[in-house]
Amino acid sequence: MGKPSDLIQGTLDLLILKTISVEPRHGWAIAKRIQQVTDEQLQVTQGALYPALHRLEQQGWIKAQWKESETGREAKFYTLTRAGAVQLRKELEQWERLSNAVGLVIRLV
Amino acid sequence: MAFWRWFDIARLRWRSVLRRRRVEQDLDRELQFFVEQEAAHLVNKGMSVEEARYAARRALGGYTQIQEECRDMRRTNHLEDLVRDLRYAARSFLRDPGFTLAIVLSMALSIGATSSIFSLIDGVLLRALPYRDPGQLVRTFLNSSSYSKFPVNPNDFRDFRQQNHTFESMAAYTRTDNQLSGNGKPVRLSSFAVTAGFFHVLGLTPAMGREFSEADEVSGGANVVVLSDRLWRSQFGASRDVVGRRIWLEAIPFTVTGVMPPGAEHPGNTYRAVAFGDTVDLWTAFKFEGSPERRGSHFLDCIGRMKPGITQRQAEADLNAVMAELARTHEGDRNWRIFLVPLHREIVAGSRPLLLVLLGAVTLVLLIACANAANLLLARASSRRREIALRLAVGAGRMRLVRQMLAESLLLSCMGAVLGGLLAVGGVKVLVALLPADFPRAADIHVNGMLFLFTIVVALATGVAFGLAPALSASRTDLREPLHESSRSATSGGDSLRLRHLLVVGEVALACVLLIGAALMMRSFSNLLHDDFGFKAEHALTATLSLPEATYKDEKSASLFYKRLLDELESDPEIAVAGIGSDLPWTGYDDNAGGFKIEGKTPPPHQEFHARYHMASNDYFRALRVPLVAGRYFNEHDVRGSQNVVLINRSMALKYWPGEDAAGKRMTFADKPEDKDWLTVVGVVGDVKDTPSSAAAEPAFWWPVAQAPFEPEMVAVLRGRSDPNALGAKLRAAVAALDPNLAVGDVRFLDDVAGHSFSAPRFGLFLVGLFAALALALAAVGTYGVISYSVNQRKQEFGIRMALGAGAFNVIGFVLREGMKLAAAGTAVGIVCGLGMSRALGSLLYRVKPFDPFTLGLCAVVVLGTAALACYVPARRATSSDPMTALRAD
Repeated sequence: MGKPSDLIQGTLDLLILKTISVEPRHGWAIAKRIQQVTDEQLQVTQGALYPALHRLEQQGWIKAQWKESETGREAKFYTLTRAGAVQLRKELEQWERLSNAVGLVIRLV
Repeated sequence: MAFWRWFDIARLRWRSVLRRRRVEQDLDRELQFFVEQEAAHLVNKGMSVEEARYAARRALGGYTQIQEECRDMRRTNHLEDLVRDLRYAARSFLRDPGFTLAIVLSMALSIGATSSIFSLIDGVLLRALPYRDPGQLVRTFLNSSSYSKFPVNPNDFRDFRQQNHTFESMAAYTRTDNQLSGNGKPVRLSSFAVTAGFFHVLGLTPAMGREFSEADEVSGGANVVVLSDRLWRSQFGASRDVVGRRIWLEAIPFTVTGVMPPGAEHPGNTYRAVAFGDTVDLWTAFKFEGSPERRGSHFLDCIGRMKPGITQRQAEADLNAVMAELARTHEGDRNWRIFLVPLHREIVAGSRPLLLVLLGAVTLVLLIACANAANLLLARASSRRREIALRLAVGAGRMRLVRQMLAESLLLSCMGAVLGGLLAVGGVKVLVALLPADFPRAADIHVNGMLFLFTIVVALATGVAFGLAPALSASRTDLREPLHESSRSATSGGDSLRLRHLLVVGEVALACVLLIGAALMMRSFSNLLHDDFGFKAEHALTATLSLPEATYKDEKSASLFYKRLLDELESDPEIAVAGIGSDLPWTGYDDNAGGFKIEGKTPPPHQEFHARYHMASNDYFRALRVPLVAGRYFNEHDVRGSQNVVLINRSMALKYWPGEDAAGKRMTFADKPEDKDWLTVVGVVGDVKDTPSSAAAEPAFWWPVAQAPFEPEMVAVLRGRSDPNALGAKLRAAVAALDPNLAVGDVRFLDDVAGHSFSAPRFGLFLVGLFAALALALAAVGTYGVISYSVNQRKQEFGIRMALGAGAFNVIGFVLREGMKLAAAGTAVGIVCGLGMSRALGSLLYRVKPFDPFTLGLCAVVVLGTAALACYVPARRATSSDPMTALRAD
């Protein structure tokens, strides 16, 4: 894992948490949802998505459960834990601050 | 909530480790689902099933990569890697059993030794004393320009107790061994007279009854006694109604007021010392006798419990203020200061230097073993350079490689520690058995959890210590070289070789230091043994007698008893000589030694005359074989009523009558000014020191028993003409014939008494010698390892040399030179460090010059000789390399 992925990774965590905060989703749905919402501007590669899901789960922010999906097949659905909800709020705040700051720099300098 | 999160995390980690397969399957299913879902999605968009399947696969990307990354995310890789590394290490060790055995055995020996010594240190120096808040307990001594630690006068003690502001409680005690009779055979008991609240000071409470109060201290009051648990069980059948019962000590009735629980340990005393521990049978109440104005005689050991928050300095200042006040009214209290010593320090003071030296020695051994292991690992790493380079080339991280190497060294050190732990369990038992009998707190040394904890810590620390250098050096392996080069030109990397040479030099130096230490202790011990003790211990039998004051009411009846006993013994044709005296050489002393004046002399300012006083019968010195230097021994004319006489030792003669003939000179005690009481010196006897390692004998004089004040306890010394073993029975029979109620105690040979005095230095010498031998052996193995490796590496070179006409002799010389260069460097460093050794050993050495060229030279020769031997074996092998094979190989 090289250096530049740090930023993307942090952002990806935020996107995942936000996406499943509405309702439990499985990996494919998370990726599709992010693509759809961002008008395909953000492509989430599966090579990044699944390790990220694993990490978030290991950190206790999200929980996984095997459930029947809309197509009738068993899929692994991810839900936000309570700790994850708190974490999401923190990350959102951070993101707001960061993007505001970056925005200011871009506009003023 | 945070809790639940941690719970989740713990659960998941657990699952990832223990149910790895299940977790992997889960991931598989999840990724499979993605592919199918994506494919279905694409089909919906109008793709053919086949195409959609391929596209979905592509979308997923590197399947294995995802798997691997997910595994990384589970953070259990380290553990899995560790298990894999350990398995790999174990396999490679099995392939190389000689190497493994060398490291594991040397680590086992050194860890075992270190842990055993640690157990000793833990029990004696680290464990808290078995009293309440033992840190608050201090021993109180007097201190003057001539005495550093002097016992306390009873009346002074009473004033200290009353007038101090810094002590919660204080007590004093003094040894007064007693004979218990009326319970069958009379027995001699180790006992102490203690002041009120003695046990309260220590924080001990009687299991039954009560301890002494100040009312019990009054002279003429009832005699009371507290029993130890041991005595209560052995002599009183653990009877529940013993409190209040009357028992007979020295033919005087005493009432039992209490029984102490088991573990009421004696805090140790300084004069006529009884060791710390479960060493006292009973305690009687101390009685304050005579006028409170008398401050001259000092014999009490004193202990106090400081109030919480009071420092030793404050307590000292407080008691000094009391002392200064006392000095205004009492002449005897002038020129004394108070000297406090924490109880723990006082108890272990004698054994601490020895234990620390042992710890130092064993640490050196451990260091050598680590250096050795590091060296062997480095050698192994050098021969594994290609394997390592290959691993790096195919993508192993350097950190990963360091981890793997460390796993190997930890596995080695842990195997060593397991064996070492077992060794230590046995070692501790052996050590305790070897300990000198009066070694303080020997009973507190056990195999316990601390020992195992310590062993584990040492195992991990040594594993990292000897594994880190090889691991780092291996991870720095340059990729290209080892893969390019054939083994023909393969020499180990320069850095690694330098490090290995440095390690050997260090090992040799440490071994040399340890050897110098052992040699110095050996010289010191031999100095002790070959010293002129001033008496001859061989074949003399000794025993203690104690005449009860109740039966022997005055000096006359006691003198008469002794005379009749000695006459009876000496009339036996088998007994060559029999004497009695107040004490024996090397069995402790009473520092109570002032209070007299010498005719025509004045003591130096702020000092008084002092000399140890003892008593002796006519043949006491002949029985001990203490030579007469001048004048005469006591004889049958030195009895009560004739001229009062004394014998003095050479030290006293030299101190107070330098350049004069002491015989015929006179002295007397301050309280006996009348001319008829003056004592005339009739002879000078040879010096006997307090202990074999004391710097010099203290001045001392002897009264004849026939003229001396009554002293209840005496020792008899007998020398036979033939069989010394029959002497004990003869003595018992003679005593029983005169007084059947008298116990004969401590029957033993003077050889044993004397031998006992050497047990501590012998113990120290034995262990340090053992460690030095171990160190030398390890250093030899280290040297052998390096030279042997280098010979293997250069087989072809030697082959060519020999093919070109070099003789075996040249080749051996060549190899030896290489090894001896290292050994010589190590020895030089060792000798320089060894110069400081005599200082480090300090009080353990007796009459050893700090710089002794002979000892240092001998050590250098031994170290170099051992190294030469260690190099010679591989050197021989170098000559045996057949040029043709060597050139053809590889």
